[in-house]
Amino acid sequence: MNPAAAAPAQGLDWRRLTRRLARQRNVVIGGTIVAFVVAVALLAPLLTPHSPEETDLFNTWAVPGSPNLLGTDKLGRDILSRLIAGAQTSLLVAGAVLAITLAVGTTLGMLAGYVGGRTDSVLMRIVDIMLAFPEVVIAILVASVMGTGTLTVVVSLALVWWPGITRLTRSFVLVIREELYIDAAIVAGTSTAMIFWRHLLPNIAAPLLVRASVGVGFIIMAEATLSFLGLGIQEPQASWGGMIRDGLPALRTDPYLALFGSLALGTTIIGFNLLGDGLRDALDPKLQGR
Amino acid sequence: MSDVLKVSGLGRTFGSGVRPLVAVEDVSFTLAEGETLGVVGESGCGKSTLARMILKLLPATTGRIEIAGQDVTDLEESRMRPLRRQIQAVFQDPVSSLNPRMRVRDIVAEPMRAAGVEADARAGRVDEMLSIVGMPADAGERYPHAFSGGQRQRIAIARALASNPRIVVCDEATSALDVSVQAQVLNLLRDLRARFGLSMLFISHNLGAVRHVGDRVAVMYLGRIVELGSEADIFERPAHPYTQALIAAVPEPTADSVAPPPLAGEIPSARDRPTGCHFHPRCPKAQARCRVEDAMLAERRANHLVRCHFPN
Repeated sequence: MNPAAAAPAQGLDWRRLTRRLARQRNVVIGGTIVAFVVAVALLAPLLTPHSPEETDLFNTWAVPGSPNLLGTDKLGRDILSRLIAGAQTSLLVAGAVLAITLAVGTTLGMLAGYVGGRTDSVLMRIVDIMLAFPEVVIAILVASVMGTGTLTVVVSLALVWWPGITRLTRSFVLVIREELYIDAAIVAGTSTAMIFWRHLLPNIAAPLLVRASVGVGFIIMAEATLSFLGLGIQEPQASWGGMIRDGLPALRTDPYLALFGSLALGTTIIGFNLLGDGLRDALDPKLQGR
Repeated sequence: MSDVLKVSGLGRTFGSGVRPLVAVEDVSFTLAEGETLGVVGESGCGKSTLARMILKLLPATTGRIEIAGQDVTDLEESRMRPLRRQIQAVFQDPVSSLNPRMRVRDIVAEPMRAAGVEADARAGRVDEMLSIVGMPADAGERYPHAFSGGQRQRIAIARALASNPRIVVCDEATSALDVSVQAQVLNLLRDLRARFGLSMLFISHNLGAVRHVGDRVAVMYLGRIVELGSEADIFERPAHPYTQALIAAVPEPTADSVAPPPLAGEIPSARDRPTGCHFHPRCPKAQARCRVEDAMLAERRANHLVRCHFPN
């Protein structure tokens, strides 16, 4: 009857999870790419060989070499430095959008799925309406109200993303609500808020994490799209979408800007998608060799 | 002895329109302090719906539920919560009834946490409960997947008893377990009932299990109680043809037992119940009256109720 005698079992679970993740090639490859991009974004001020925003009109469209490793753009700014700064921009936007949409989406999704009834109907109709708008249309709407800029990108992408998270959460909750441990919790007298926190959330966290990981890839792409269209990140702040846009007119003569911008964007998206796919496989109980 | 649970005229209908599904109809009984009432019936006879209504997991369509003298039928969940610790449950599937992402310690402590018991007191009580149900000392720190079905059901029992309830509803609590484990869990429930002076509502399709633990037994058919009496009344002097058929269908180890009267046909649909006595299409003694006139639950002898026109 001495609780101190018991060994912590949590560590064992983690070790097993780590082993299972390491077996997934997608997790390893995707995770490496993601870790690299995240590290670059975090260390951006230390890594940039030149200032990403400093122009040098005597050195425009330089080819890769020295001192500009990947060349320069039309204003003579160092492409490598702008790629690194762009990673920071992309991840910042993606992180902000994810934080907002996960908070809003899981809360509303749990409400809709668990409470049901009229709450569910109303929420799901709003979700349907929101899902009917393409992201660019919403972005144009937001931009016309707020002007262009980083905040506009975050707000429009959050508006685009929360309905999907809400609907996904709701579908998981509909399944979990049938579990007897939810009935047991009600019988135990647990409040609805605590049922959300202690029973629903831990059991939907894994699939939501997968969705979030794949989602980051899409959000980065959407941010690039908006910046490409001129609705998003504004000069002189670096963003991959903006770099691709600037590089396109010069594609035939000076392809490096568009090329390296696209490479950075593509690799990062693939990294997040691989990680998401691998996580899904690793966390899927049906694929677990327990 | 006072009644800790009183159910009167309880009913539940699903859906509406021309053919609603009548899952439970006109169920009335009382449960005295320290008493165990067994509820038997085939699958689909409304046993679990009855349990869910009594546990307030499902609103009743008609009737009343009183717990310790208080009418809880239409009580809102927020006002029901303080009463929850009085009436706890053990469910059928011990895999589904334990949250896979919670440690056993937190699972067992849940009713106490909800009732506002402080963490220190909870920890002591959890250890006490786990040892009472026969779990190893380190079980609390582990997760449910580390345990077998029988052990999981022990954990569920520890959780049900942790808040010191007066009533425990066991909804097919042993049905998902292996036969050898069933007996252990049944014996555990019996011991605990005596030790804590519990009242139990023991719902099962297993006649043997109900006989093993029940002081009184209710037999359900198509959502209604067809016979209610003491364990001896039901098993030794069954008066309803359905009860007789159920008991006769249990294989006897002796050679001289007579072949049971075959119970023809399947249970009719709860959406389309037969006229008159609901049992008449399958009843070996059915007469013209049974086809048209519904039978009422009537006292045949003291405390032995039968819903039949021609009981014997």
